[in-house]
Amino acid sequence: MAEEPPGKYWREDGILHIDVRGLGPPEPMFAILFHLEKPGEVGPVIVHHLCEPVYFYPELAERGWSHKIIAGEPDEVRLILRQIP
Amino acid sequence: MSMLIMSGAKDRLLPASLPFRFFASASVFHILFWLALLMGADDLATFNGGTGWILAAIHIATLGTFAMTAMGAAFQLLPIATRQPLAHSWPAYLTFWLFMPGTLILTYGMTTTSMLALTIGGIATSAGLLTFALLTADNLRRATSLPIVASHGWVAVISVLVLVALALLLIFDLDAGFLPNHIAAATTHMAFAAFGFMGVLAFGFSYVLIPMFALSRALPPRMGWVSLAFAAIALTLAAPALLLEITPLQVAALLCAIAAAAAYLWQMRTAFKTRMRKRLGPAFVVIRGSWGMLAISLLIGLAVLLDAPIPNGATLFGFLLLAGWLLTFLLGILQRIMPFLASMHVSTKDGRTPLLSDLTSQTPLNIHMISHATALALCAAGIVSEITPLIIAGAAIGLVGSIAFGLFAGFVIRKL
Repeated sequence: MAEEPPGKYWREDGILHIDVRGLGPPEPMFAILFHLEKPGEVGPVIVHHLCEPVYFYPELAERGWSHKIIAGEPDEVRLILRQIP
Repeated sequence: MSMLIMSGAKDRLLPASLPFRFFASASVFHILFWLALLMGADDLATFNGGTGWILAAIHIATLGTFAMTAMGAAFQLLPIATRQPLAHSWPAYLTFWLFMPGTLILTYGMTTTSMLALTIGGIATSAGLLTFALLTADNLRRATSLPIVASHGWVAVISVLVLVALALLLIFDLDAGFLPNHIAAATTHMAFAAFGFMGVLAFGFSYVLIPMFALSRALPPRMGWVSLAFAAIALTLAAPALLLEITPLQVAALLCAIAAAAAYLWQMRTAFKTRMRKRLGPAFVVIRGSWGMLAISLLIGLAVLLDAPIPNGATLFGFLLLAGWLLTFLLGILQRIMPFLASMHVSTKDGRTPLLSDLTSQTPLNIHMISHATALALCAAGIVSEITPLIIAGAAIGLVGSIAFGLFAGFVIRKL
């Protein structure tokens, strides 16, 4: 596995933000799962995506995470990911 | 700054009924393929063209299963890969309603040598393929991402035009006999169908699908371009080499095809090396098996061209290429992609995305995997040894496996 995932990421108020805009498939999925699979990452996580990543939802479900689209900038689809209790 | 909720890929997600009608048909034609092979078992080992059960079996597989799977996958995945929606969805429905009955009528014509059925089926099938090619070309023309996948799509589209033109010539030649060398034209038609259309499309889609399913990094495009360049040179050489029966040029074309396959397999190796998913599951056992068959079939093809003493080598080459590589690969992809796409169209009672494991029925897939491998081995042994009972046993076991695969497809579709 790569040491550094593609895309940008930062923490704001303790919440991890992952920006995968500008990445071609399958890099966004790789980047997001890279962060979610890090030990200690319990969410919520906010994802900044260029479009709604429908192909990513089954992978999230397999890992016990839910997704919801929230308001974002005009050029993005913003998702909040939460671990399913 | 304005805050809003955008959509995107969901707009490019087609109604489930569209891709799944292609996948369901591919599963049914898969059963018919082994049935046709069983019916024509006597003729398989020494097959060298002509109408009958074997020609029908080849077209049931190539049109009914390969092209049908490719169309369903392309209509759904290409808009995601190119970030461009289909201009209209009705041509995709039209493609199906031309192509599916056309394939049935055409292959019926091949078993009965009915010129009427061959003509109607040939025209309908060609019209379906051309509609697909036009729809794909329109999407590729607007592509804004993944140029490597789009370029493979262009080579596949050009190959469709060549193979359709040759197919119609071959059908009308059966009655009118105007082609100077019918078998050479048929071989060229098969090369553009198996390598140009299906092979190149399989390579191109692999660069998205395999990393997506294995959870790998995007593949560095360099070797992908090398593979595509060799594939394009191979096809360019193959046309005059096969039509004019120039053996050294055929060898050169096949060497380029081997180089294209080697570069492609190198890319797949890279995907596996960088993958995040450690347990790839049974679908990848099937897919890896198909890659082995790709290499073996091309090497056997080269050995045959160099006059190696392989009994019925040309038939063995064709069988391993079509049933060993392409059929196995597409069935591996289908068993992975069907539950995956289904999960995007259904939700659990509490509105969540269902687990892929709830949309998969592994027992029939296991039966299929074992049956398919056994069937390939027995049929290949039967071709080389010219022992028909081996081919009959292989085709019967393949038929059992294909019915099991059909049960899996039915299980997924019932969940929609």
